[in-house]
Amino acid sequence: MSGGKVDIKVVLLGKAYAGKTSLVERYIHNRFLGETVPYQNTIGAAFGAKTVTVNNQNVVIGIWDTAGSERYEAMSRIYYRGAKAAIVCYDLTDKSSFDRARFWIGELQKYEQGCQIYLCGTKFDIIEDNPDLRTVSERDAHALALDVRGENYETSSKTGKDIDKIFTKIAVDYLASKTAHKNEVDADIVELRKHPKKHLCQGCS
Amino acid sequence: MDTIVKENIDPKDLKSFEVLYIEQQRRGYVSEKTQFDYAWCLVRSRYISDMHKGIELLKDLLRSAKDDLSKRDYLYYIAIGFVRIKEYESALEYTEAIQKIEPENKQAKELQSYIKQKLKSDGLIGMAIVGGAALAVGGIIGATVAAMRKKKSNQ
Repeated sequence: MSGGKVDIKVVLLGKAYAGKTSLVERYIHNRFLGETVPYQNTIGAAFGAKTVTVNNQNVVIGIWDTAGSERYEAMSRIYYRGAKAAIVCYDLTDKSSFDRARFWIGELQKYEQGCQIYLCGTKFDIIEDNPDLRTVSERDAHALALDVRGENYETSSKTGKDIDKIFTKIAVDYLASKTAHKNEVDADIVELRKHPKKHLCQGCS
Repeated sequence: MDTIVKENIDPKDLKSFEVLYIEQQRRGYVSEKTQFDYAWCLVRSRYISDMHKGIELLKDLLRSAKDDLSKRDYLYYIAIGFVRIKEYESALEYTEAIQKIEPENKQAKELQSYIKQKLKSDGLIGMAIVGGAALAVGGIIGATVAAMRKKKSNQ
C-alpha cells in the first residue's frame, strides 16, 4: 500500500490523541483546527501528500496517518510496511504515550529495518506555557532516539514549531541514502569490469 | 481520497485474517476484532464478491455495535465498500449516517465529496452514452428515410 506517485512513504504511528493528524494538518495545510473543531480520532488511516524541494530536487512525500486506537493495530502494521520513514509520535504531557512510542519502535526494528525512525514529542506549546505539565524528559526521548540511530524532535502543531524541519530532514536523508545506494551499484559495476577476460570463454582458452 | 478508496490489500494479508476468522468460526465464537479485521481486508480485496462479503460482515457488526465510535468506524468502511463496488448512492447513505454521529467528521466529509464527484462524472458519462445512442438511432432513422426516398425516386 504505497499510494500514487510517491517518492517517500512516510508513516505516522503513536497512541491515540498524541496529535498525529494535527501534525499532518499543519504540515500539509498549514493550519491548526484543535481550538475550533472537537477532537476526532482517525478512522483506520488517512493519506496526504506534499512535494518538498531539497537541493533543487523535488521529492513527493506520501504520508499515511494511522489511527492510534488499539482497534487498528493490525491495520497499522500493514500501513508501515515498505515505509522509508516513520514519525513515531508521543504526547509530551502523557507518559503512557511514550510507552506506546517504545512499542511501535520495537515493532519497526523487528519487522521494518529499512525504515528510518523520527521520534516526535508533540504539544510543545502546552509545556512551554506550563513546564510542570511535561511528563517525558528530553533526555529520555533523546536516549531512545539514539538507540535506534534516529533523532528526537519536540514539536507544536499549534505554533508550527519544528514541523517542517522533520519532513525536510526525511527528504534530505532519503536523497542521501539514494545517492549512497547509487554509489554502491556503481562500485559493483567497476568491480565486474576489472577482470573481464577471466569470465570469457574459459573452455576455449 | 483516491488513494484510500483504491488501495488493494495484499492477498497474503487477506489470507491470514481469513484463517483467524475461520478458526474462530469453527470454535463457535468470532470476536468483534477478528470479524472487523477480516471485513476491512475483504472490502479492500481485488474481487467484487469479497467486497460484498466484507460489506455484509460490517453490516452485521453494525447491528450489534455497542458504542457510537464503533458504529462510526463500521459505517465508514461500509461506505468505502460501496464506493469500491461503484454503488455510490448507497455509499452516500452511509457517509450521511456518520455525520449524524460526528457532524464535523473530516474523513466522512472528504469521502462524501469524493462520492458526489464520482456521481457527477458518472452521470456525465451516462448522458454521453444515452446521447450517443440517440445519435445512432437518429442515424439509422435518417439512413432508412434516405433509402426510402431513394427507392421512391427510383420508382
